[in-house]
Amino acid sequence: MTDSTERLAPQAGEAIDRSRSFEFTFEGRTYTAHPGDTIASALAAAGVRVFSRSFKYHRPRGLLCGAGHCPNCLVQIGDEPNVRSCQRPAEEGMAVKAQNAWPSLDFDLLSLTKYFSALMPVGFYYKTFIRPRFLWPLYEKVLRRAAGLGKVDPHSHGEGFSKEFLHAEVVVVGGGPTGISAALAAAGQGARVLLCEEQAALGGHLRFWGAQEALPGLLAELAGQPRIQVLTGTMVTGWYADHWLSAVQGKRLYKIRARSVVAATGAYEQPLLFAGNDLPGVMLGGAVLRLLRLYGVKPGHRAVVVAGDAQGWEVAQALRSAGVEVGAVLSGDGRDGAEGFEVLRGYAVAQAEGGRRLRRVVLADGQGGRRRLDCDLLVLGGNWAPAADLAYMAGCRAEYDADRGEYRFAQMRPGFFAAGRVNGVPGIEGQRLDGQRAGLEAAGYLGLGSGPVAGLAEELRQLGPTPARAWVPPASGEGKNFVCLCEDVTDTDVQTAVAEGYESPELLKRYSTISMGPCQGKMCGINALHLCARARGLSMRQAVRTTARPPTVPVSLGNLAGQHLEPVQHTPIHQWHLDHGARMMGAGLWMRPEHYGDAAAEVRAVRQGVGLIDVSTLGKMQFTGPGVGALLEKLYVNPWRRLGVGRARYGVMCNDEGVVIDDGVGARLGEEEWYLTTTSSGAAGVFELVQWWMQAGWGEGAHLADLTEAFAAFNLAGPQSRTVLQRLTPLDLGNGALPYMHARQGEVAGVPCRLMRLGFTGELSYEIHCPSGYGLHLWEALMEAGKALGITPFGVEAQRVLRLEKAHIIVGQDTDALADALSVGLEGVVKLDKPDFLGKRSLMRVAGAGSQQRLTGFRMVRPGLVPEEGLQIVERRGGKLEIIGWITSSRFSPTLGEAIGLCWLPSGLAGRSGSEFSIFREGELLEARVHLGAFYDPAGEKVRG
Amino acid sequence: MLILDCPNCGKRNASEFRYGGEVHPRPPAAQQLSEAEWAHYLYMRPNQQGVQSEWWYHRAGCGLWFLAERHTYTGQVTRTWLPENPKSDD
Amino acid sequence: MWRKVPLRDEYEVVIIGGGAHGLACAYYLAKDHGITDVAVLDKSYIGSGGSGRNTAIVRSNYLTPEGVRFYDESVKLYEQMACELDFNVMFSQRGHLTLAHSDASVRTMRRRAEVNKLQGVNSRLIWPDEIARLCPHLDLSDHPRHPIQAALYHPPGGIIRHDAVVWGYAREADRRGVEIHQETEVTGLRVDDGRIQGAETSRGLVKAGKVLNATAGWGSTIAGMAGIELPMTTFPLQACVTEPLKPFLNTVVVSGSLHVYVSQSDRGELVTGASVDPFASYSLAGSLSFLEEISGHLLELFPCLSQVRILRQWAGLCEMPPDFSPIMGITPVEGFFIDTGWGTYGFKASPICGKTLAALIATGRTPDLIAPFRLSRFAENQLVGEKGAASVGH
Repeated sequence: MTDSTERLAPQAGEAIDRSRSFEFTFEGRTYTAHPGDTIASALAAAGVRVFSRSFKYHRPRGLLCGAGHCPNCLVQIGDEPNVRSCQRPAEEGMAVKAQNAWPSLDFDLLSLTKYFSALMPVGFYYKTFIRPRFLWPLYEKVLRRAAGLGKVDPHSHGEGFSKEFLHAEVVVVGGGPTGISAALAAAGQGARVLLCEEQAALGGHLRFWGAQEALPGLLAELAGQPRIQVLTGTMVTGWYADHWLSAVQGKRLYKIRARSVVAATGAYEQPLLFAGNDLPGVMLGGAVLRLLRLYGVKPGHRAVVVAGDAQGWEVAQALRSAGVEVGAVLSGDGRDGAEGFEVLRGYAVAQAEGGRRLRRVVLADGQGGRRRLDCDLLVLGGNWAPAADLAYMAGCRAEYDADRGEYRFAQMRPGFFAAGRVNGVPGIEGQRLDGQRAGLEAAGYLGLGSGPVAGLAEELRQLGPTPARAWVPPASGEGKNFVCLCEDVTDTDVQTAVAEGYESPELLKRYSTISMGPCQGKMCGINALHLCARARGLSMRQAVRTTARPPTVPVSLGNLAGQHLEPVQHTPIHQWHLDHGARMMGAGLWMRPEHYGDAAAEVRAVRQGVGLIDVSTLGKMQFTGPGVGALLEKLYVNPWRRLGVGRARYGVMCNDEGVVIDDGVGARLGEEEWYLTTTSSGAAGVFELVQWWMQAGWGEGAHLADLTEAFAAFNLAGPQSRTVLQRLTPLDLGNGALPYMHARQGEVAGVPCRLMRLGFTGELSYEIHCPSGYGLHLWEALMEAGKALGITPFGVEAQRVLRLEKAHIIVGQDTDALADALSVGLEGVVKLDKPDFLGKRSLMRVAGAGSQQRLTGFRMVRPGLVPEEGLQIVERRGGKLEIIGWITSSRFSPTLGEAIGLCWLPSGLAGRSGSEFSIFREGELLEARVHLGAFYDPAGEKVRG
Repeated sequence: MLILDCPNCGKRNASEFRYGGEVHPRPPAAQQLSEAEWAHYLYMRPNQQGVQSEWWYHRAGCGLWFLAERHTYTGQVTRTWLPENPKSDD
Repeated sequence: MWRKVPLRDEYEVVIIGGGAHGLACAYYLAKDHGITDVAVLDKSYIGSGGSGRNTAIVRSNYLTPEGVRFYDESVKLYEQMACELDFNVMFSQRGHLTLAHSDASVRTMRRRAEVNKLQGVNSRLIWPDEIARLCPHLDLSDHPRHPIQAALYHPPGGIIRHDAVVWGYAREADRRGVEIHQETEVTGLRVDDGRIQGAETSRGLVKAGKVLNATAGWGSTIAGMAGIELPMTTFPLQACVTEPLKPFLNTVVVSGSLHVYVSQSDRGELVTGASVDPFASYSLAGSLSFLEEISGHLLELFPCLSQVRILRQWAGLCEMPPDFSPIMGITPVEGFFIDTGWGTYGFKASPICGKTLAALIATGRTPDLIAPFRLSRFAENQLVGEKGAASVGH
């Protein structure tokens, strides 16, 4: 077990609970941690310096930012890849592993690529591995193996993800001093505020540096504020239209509708560019202060500090208090050595030296003078870039302020406000005032309060401008100077790319892959822009930033997917089907019985006796009013207006291209009462479409209700169906009283029903519709009434065979997006002399010009062979096989004892009964013959009996 | 996520609605149109960047179709309204 | 890679759109026909449109014979591209699977397999045991709401480095004398007496007797400048990418029912997309709904990925014609050619598109391969029926 040799004495305000400790492993070695430690802080306490290997060159990498921005601390925990160990709390028993290193983190063979780095400049793979072509798959395999960071475990199983909707009038992003001030100001005006803070505790940077003494007061003001909801451990990951925000808290995804947003998101610390800048031991100021103050960890023993601003000085002092020797402080802000440090002015870091960790820095004074200092910690402080991604996603614009050395907002989106460090305001007083300003502006935008008073702006002005910070250009030294740590891109690579013509920042990004790694550009974006502008001789104002895109931090698929909720629709008979051995199939959202064990037997039962099928999934539309006849006349290709009361008719609906979109049956139940069905899968679409035409002008005097789910429906079919049904109803079912294609309303099994005598299956049959609540009762009554006659439930498969034996089409299977009603063979249904209907104009053209292809029936020459649906019909032309049609429906018919089907063929061929054609199947040709009309009972005597 | 102001129900998330396409009135005298003119009605669309009138259906709500004016680039919806019901032309 | 030269005021051919299509056309004009007095204009950087935003899938397993023949020619050109352009476009023919989750879907997949076979394209229907061998991480149990029944397996399909295609064509076209002008936006078209005269740009008027509209997504905008309406509606198509992972997904996987396609790039990231956005728009901002839906669908296919993280999302524009087939060739304005209607299937057609349009522009004759895609087909009622084979069901 490894000792925590670098742990300091308890620190005021530290995040760890030293009274308890536990163990976890990293790379097989055991380490201790306290509750509150992150994996990285516990490892650092034990003196671990190397946390990962870089993507391309497998260079050792150590903690750099401490804030979850850079890729250096990525580890794998069990089956979870790419975890930022500086953010993830350590837990007892965790088994943490390094990524992308083999055989071990300490000794990674692939780091030998550094000897070939001259052969692997930026974009090298575009210029190599081109010839010989046959070797490319092999090269690619090697490249792929070397790529990637974490590993996917095929047995990984995520659970416990959830989503929640939130609404707020003002959402404040960021719980540091600025955000807290903004929230208080907005709530003070009466706004309902949601404050989201990424870390587990509020306070932002005040938790570990700056005016830390101000934090308790701020938290006290916030406590008990009824209009402010605080979410910690919650990262806002995206801004979307109309202030729709996504935020992640552990396994929960929040979807937030805000009426206004205040971004108080602070700034990212930026690395400097010098040779060896990626060595373990080079750290940003915030990482050092977090280790010292939050976790009580000594980050090194001898340090050199680059103090670009006040934070850097604080780092130097904190290090000294922790017993770290501070070799020198490089002053960037003009302060002198009054605090007892050796201060070097005018010096910049030229190079960091070391093998697996930092051993020495080389400083240059710009005039040829150099100093070498031994150290194991180099702190880079004072370089910041506003964390403005969310604002950019919202469409706010920023311009580069060369005097201040950073991007400043030039135009905000209405309702979106930015405050504090992200708005260029450093220091606690400025941040409190600016936060207040933004909170008041947000409230004012919503009509609450009158916005900030004039004095507030004046106070802010009096605090003075942000100190000027010139960008520190890369030092020239020996060795690689990394701009992009995720992808190992150096400044030389950037210059090369620009020189090759990849000039615009977008082209540079795509070619060099800068900012396309896990840090998403937080560490490299601004530096890359500077380098690009410099290489092109442009000012930063002329460089166009690449587009900021969600998410602000990587978000897991599990979070985004949430709970797995897949709706399914059941008919009232669902359980009965299951209890009677039905094999269920999905039909859109519905579950339907495919068969009950033997579809062929079901077909025979319907043909010889009686069968019952649950067709509750059919769409059902109830039309009422004097205008319905005229409406239906226009919506369907067939006539409706003169349909008598008590009559029913098959209806086909086309779009204005004449393409068949749905079919069904309609009955006129009363003078102004009509009842129409649609296909199951077409129900919703047809309903929406009919609604549209009604509202667009055709609906006068017509009213539509969707009864799809309100009514259950069954089809009782077979020669014995009348006998069975008569037992349950007082209605006279005699052939004269209720003929074919007629409808009646009446009681069946004591339940009010609509009865329609139809013929999809080609047998005497009755479609019975009743309110869903009675569905199961009616179904069971029918089954009981038919028991002695051997009534058989039948499913979708049997129905497909039965309808095929009658050559009835299934819309969407036998028809597609180009099949018009005439070519499909529905001439008998289309009434072209109606004044107007959907599809008339196009169908008139087809009627005049003739169809090129037609749907027709076929039987196989060899009766036992059943060709699969989807097979192509071919013709030999000039030595090649040309496609002339295809099979849409195909089954073995138990009734006829042979294979039958429907297919598309060229019109001439399709119209000639008995003409032969060839089906292509696995390299062979199967012969078939055209069959016109129904295969079974072509005269239709059974249905009319 | 875009907010749409349903004339019936008020402001709702766009996910409650189904887009119905650019407003494209059906020619009243279809039979007199030439093939090219009919094909133009069936298929051709302005499809420009700018404000367009379009149909929306409140699928997860009142089930009414309504019209909206929306800028196809900025996404800004300037107004929504219910269609007037002209008399059927027959 | 390509020169920066001043924009002249006249060229023989002006190509509007510096994406893979426009640059391929410029390349073939120079290479096949010796026409080099060509200017390619792009309003931003080359490849900033669809070419840089697609999910880089190349395949030819379409539904109609015309479609299959067309895309197959493209695949063949892609196979030779690295050698031809001397630029490694990293075409990885690792196999393409289109999953079928219902019997209707199996029927469509069989139909595609048969049509493919008859055009000489390698595709076949495979069943869960073989799918498991090709893609062990897929959930092939009947646990999912929509269990996988079969798949259309297309071995020659795969993925490619899409930006490299743009750069490769740009460099070769430039080398042969074609001029590429970035940051040059066309703001109008000059038409006189039914004939194109040139293009008005943000950098001045450029005269030309032949102008090609190769601006997928903005096809209607440019065509509108010549007074032409096209049968398309523009929708955003979103995509996203995950953090890099060690390689585990070796084929491209598509599910029409679940509206998702995914592949693993050579950098280790999963690249994934779905169907077009639900309403027409020219905005390139992504949406949260897209991320939520695609994550749900990916996890239904690959339940082991719940801890994999999305790194970045983006969108491109797709102009959708009614028959899901491109609109290529001549227009009523003489000398004005269009290369539009590319929906969600444009990038994979870049090489053959460039080649055929170059032939048309050079010779005035429409090549047979693209005749089915003419603009006049709508008035002639000769739509191409590709709706069943666009990557996700619409």
